[in-house]
Amino acid sequence: MNTKKWKSIGTVLGETNISEFYFSLKNYKAKKGDIITTESKVPSSEGKIEEVTVWGKISSIESSNVFFPTEAAQELTNENINIRDTILPTTRDELICKVIILGFTLKNNLKLMPLNYPVRPAAPVSYPSSEDVEALLISDLNSEHPLFIGSLLARDAVKIKIDADNLVSRHVSIFGMSGSGKTVMVRRIMDELLKKKYPMLVLDIHGDYLGFIQKQKKLYPKNEVKLFYPNLSVSSDDKEIIYTLIDKLGNSLTDPQKDFLSSLLEKVKYEGGSLLKYIELLVRKAREYASDPSKSFKNIRPASMYVVVRSLGQVAKKLKNMEQTNFRHRQKMSKLKFEELPDAATEPEKIINKGQLSILYLKGYENLPASAIVSILLENLFKHRQEVEEEIPPFLTIIEEAHNFIPSRSEDKDNLPSVDTIRKVITEGRKFGTGVMIISQRPSRLDETIASQCNSQIVFRMVNQKDQRATTRDSETLSVDDSKQLPNLANGQGIISGQVVNFSLPVQIKFDAELINDDIGNENFISAVENWDDKESVKQRKKFAKDFSNITSIDRRRAN
Amino acid sequence: MSNERDIKNKIKSNSSLFTNFVKNAVSASPKVQNNFLDVSTQVALTVQKILEDADLILNLEYKGKDFWSENKCKTSCFVDGGVDKTSIISSAPLSIRTGSYIVKPDAADKNREFFEESMVFLGDLYDPKNELYDFAEDDFDEDQMLNKKKDGARIIFEAVTIVKHILLNRKFDYCFLHGPIEATVMPFTVMGFPTFTKFAVENMLPFYSKNKLNAEARHFINVYLEALNSIKKSKFPIYGIVETSNSAPYIKNLLFNYKSKGTISEKDFKNTLATIKKYKITDSHLLEIILQSGQAIKPLEVKKQIQGFGVTSGSAWEDKMDSFPSVHIGYIKINNHSAPIRIETLNPPKNLIKDYEYILATAKLLPNYGFPVGLNVVDKFAKIPNWMSKASRKYYATHLLKQAIRSKDQNTISLAVKILSKKVRSWRNRPLGGLAR
Ligand SMILES: Nc1ncnc2c1ncn2[C@@H]1O[C@H](COP(=O)(O)OP(=O)(O)OP(=O)(O)O)[C@@H](O)[C@H]1O
Ligand SMILES: [Mg+2]
Repeated sequence: MNTKKWKSIGTVLGETNISEFYFSLKNYKAKKGDIITTESKVPSSEGKIEEVTVWGKISSIESSNVFFPTEAAQELTNENINIRDTILPTTRDELICKVIILGFTLKNNLKLMPLNYPVRPAAPVSYPSSEDVEALLISDLNSEHPLFIGSLLARDAVKIKIDADNLVSRHVSIFGMSGSGKTVMVRRIMDELLKKKYPMLVLDIHGDYLGFIQKQKKLYPKNEVKLFYPNLSVSSDDKEIIYTLIDKLGNSLTDPQKDFLSSLLEKVKYEGGSLLKYIELLVRKAREYASDPSKSFKNIRPASMYVVVRSLGQVAKKLKNMEQTNFRHRQKMSKLKFEELPDAATEPEKIINKGQLSILYLKGYENLPASAIVSILLENLFKHRQEVEEEIPPFLTIIEEAHNFIPSRSEDKDNLPSVDTIRKVITEGRKFGTGVMIISQRPSRLDETIASQCNSQIVFRMVNQKDQRATTRDSETLSVDDSKQLPNLANGQGIISGQVVNFSLPVQIKFDAELINDDIGNENFISAVENWDDKESVKQRKKFAKDFSNITSIDRRRAN
Repeated sequence: MSNERDIKNKIKSNSSLFTNFVKNAVSASPKVQNNFLDVSTQVALTVQKILEDADLILNLEYKGKDFWSENKCKTSCFVDGGVDKTSIISSAPLSIRTGSYIVKPDAADKNREFFEESMVFLGDLYDPKNELYDFAEDDFDEDQMLNKKKDGARIIFEAVTIVKHILLNRKFDYCFLHGPIEATVMPFTVMGFPTFTKFAVENMLPFYSKNKLNAEARHFINVYLEALNSIKKSKFPIYGIVETSNSAPYIKNLLFNYKSKGTISEKDFKNTLATIKKYKITDSHLLEIILQSGQAIKPLEVKKQIQGFGVTSGSAWEDKMDSFPSVHIGYIKINNHSAPIRIETLNPPKNLIKDYEYILATAKLLPNYGFPVGLNVVDKFAKIPNWMSKASRKYYATHLLKQAIRSKDQNTISLAVKILSKKVRSWRNRPLGGLAR
């Protein structure tokens, strides 16, 4: 580290302490989020005085032209005078930077230590070279398994890495408004973890991760990438879930009707397998009971039983609809091979396996069934990790659009089964190697317990104040200054904080263009319209539309 | 031009003359109070009449946008000094610096504007080893003397800053000083006013080697005179600009000229001067009423240092007063709601109207205050920033204690500690000659 080569960019101001200082910055020499240094002296434990380099991060910059009198603006406007023609100062913006001290390093040793003696006022502030900043960050991260995610914001040469061990065991939340770059970031992390053969399970609602399947041969020849579609198969243990599903998806039932439903579930044993089949069986059985009420249900009126029959029919219809919607979506991507989700209770290794990425494609499913599917799946996988004879390796679960699975209680979504499951997985996950990554546009709508269990955070652009507040509330490491920056971030720029790094850092995430699923370029509506060609059915309809409308108009003609 | 009723109304409608009078009314006799409005109206009418008669009133032109696009190629320099107000008991800290704001609007960013710090002093005037003034055992009231020393230093620093620009052959179209171009030197002629150190003079006026810098040559009066003479030789116009006048040099001289010409009788002259004095009427007061926004009055030559006046009389420096250059004083009224500003030069302006219009335009950029904006800018620059003041206060505190400790005298040390723990400047038991003894 050659500190002599660093450019001087300013001077430490005023009164300093051991946690922060201010300095006046020369024009355009540094930006918010930059890492800077100042030379200082600290007393060592042996009573010697040691020359050290103090490292800090610019947490905010204020610019003011102290020399520009506000009154002048008035005259400039009134008289339409160009300020550049006048003697008013235009280039003397005073830049005052606030610096959060990260720590100090000794000569020839990049270990960052906490500062215990204030920096010197009037000391010069330097802009360390990119190599040195990167070296410091790496040495400070001290990670056995660093993951490359991008570069320090607007300082391309400084590559940023995060600690994989903390990432997979301590849970991460990724927040930001729509289009801010969350998914791009997740794909970046997945790319790195795939190379490390770490098993992953992604709950993909939009098909954002299908690119991994398409590019598997080319980019991840040593990995397996599996694409599953959900299969609502439940076991008899999941009776509660079945009940909830029927209760919530069907018509609302009165108490006697509910009693009948419970008894029905008791009587008609479920042997595992497709839930839809089971419900269809329930419909048949219920109808039987209703047509011959004396047989087993003496105190329930047949009318009530028919209500339950209708309700069950409703549920069956809905489930079938969702399955079909999901199927139609899958069909559109004929090149991709979808497999039915294996039963996690009996064949977990088909889902979680070393080097394997499993994508569960949930498109078309409503919240509740999707939640049920996820709940059952994670519950089973977790059990396998919990058991003494582990059948599957540790793995990471990636939950996109997490507000669908773990809504906050205040959201008043009837308790989704996935909330309890994920809460359990996340609180005990550290012990069992079941890390979770939560991705959401609306952190304020997430279950607070779960969100606060995420020890690392990556936050992208966020304008909504409620969400900003939720984000800082759940984070111990994101500062107020950081959160002020959130609305101004551009695509792919995020602030990363928590245990995967040692101090919060603004990062430009590397964009892996090749990981985009190019089968559905669904963000480009304009070109979609440009290349639009009506479907055959629509063409036919349009062909005759004129004729029919003629008929109608003639028909309506008044006789004269 | 205004008639009698106009003028009366103007005076009543919150002119500074009226406000000032109301402020002092308590102390004025009932008769003075009664007559104030009529008398001042009459004085204003008379002065206005003379100004018109002598054709002294100028109508300046101001076309904001066009003016600046025509004048953006001009280089202007604005000079001001800043003095730190810090004070600690038993030491007389002085942080002083002068700054220049130099701007050429149409230059590229890099060369458009410069802020220069020309003269800096950071020291303790009670410290015998201070590098500014020779140490003198002063029996004169110490507070007053201290203020004089600070003022003297500021005045010299500002003048010397301009001299440096001249010596460096800077290509300015204009140079403006915040304050009189020539200060009244009378306060520094008092007995016991210390001389500048050799070191200080050598730094201030490197070319000034008269009599090997003997004590007399290093006295404020001689050093300042030397600086003024250099300023007078400048190739570019240099103006001192004063916000408000609290005296009436212009009017008095105007009347004097008319008396000399024989237009006013000796008696009328004397009486009018007495009236002006009695009612505390100043140039600013009267011209505020007489002039319209954008009007100026042509400069009059005025002697700033008057021989045989006040304290100076009988002083060792009395003869010197005549050697000081005379000053050309004019006024410009920038807007309707502020008093006209005073414009001073050592030489009669060569391009009077152009120059005054330039000053008017720079002051229009500070539309409410009505003062050249460049001077406002440099004022902020020269001002010792707060954090500096704090730093300097700490510097003095430790400096003082160090001196005490070096003396190894327990009493002195405990005294120093006591002093440091006091905040107000009420301490009167300063050991003579400072603690270093
Ligand atoms: N790091 C990046 N570098 C360059 N472009 C990026 C980056 N991150 C995101 N983008 C751009 O922004 C687009 C949207 O990003 P992404 O799909 O990650 O958003 P998102 O936060 O997941 O949004 P949503 O909440 O709607 O899913 C990307 O397709 C890409 O064009
Ligand atoms: Mg996304």
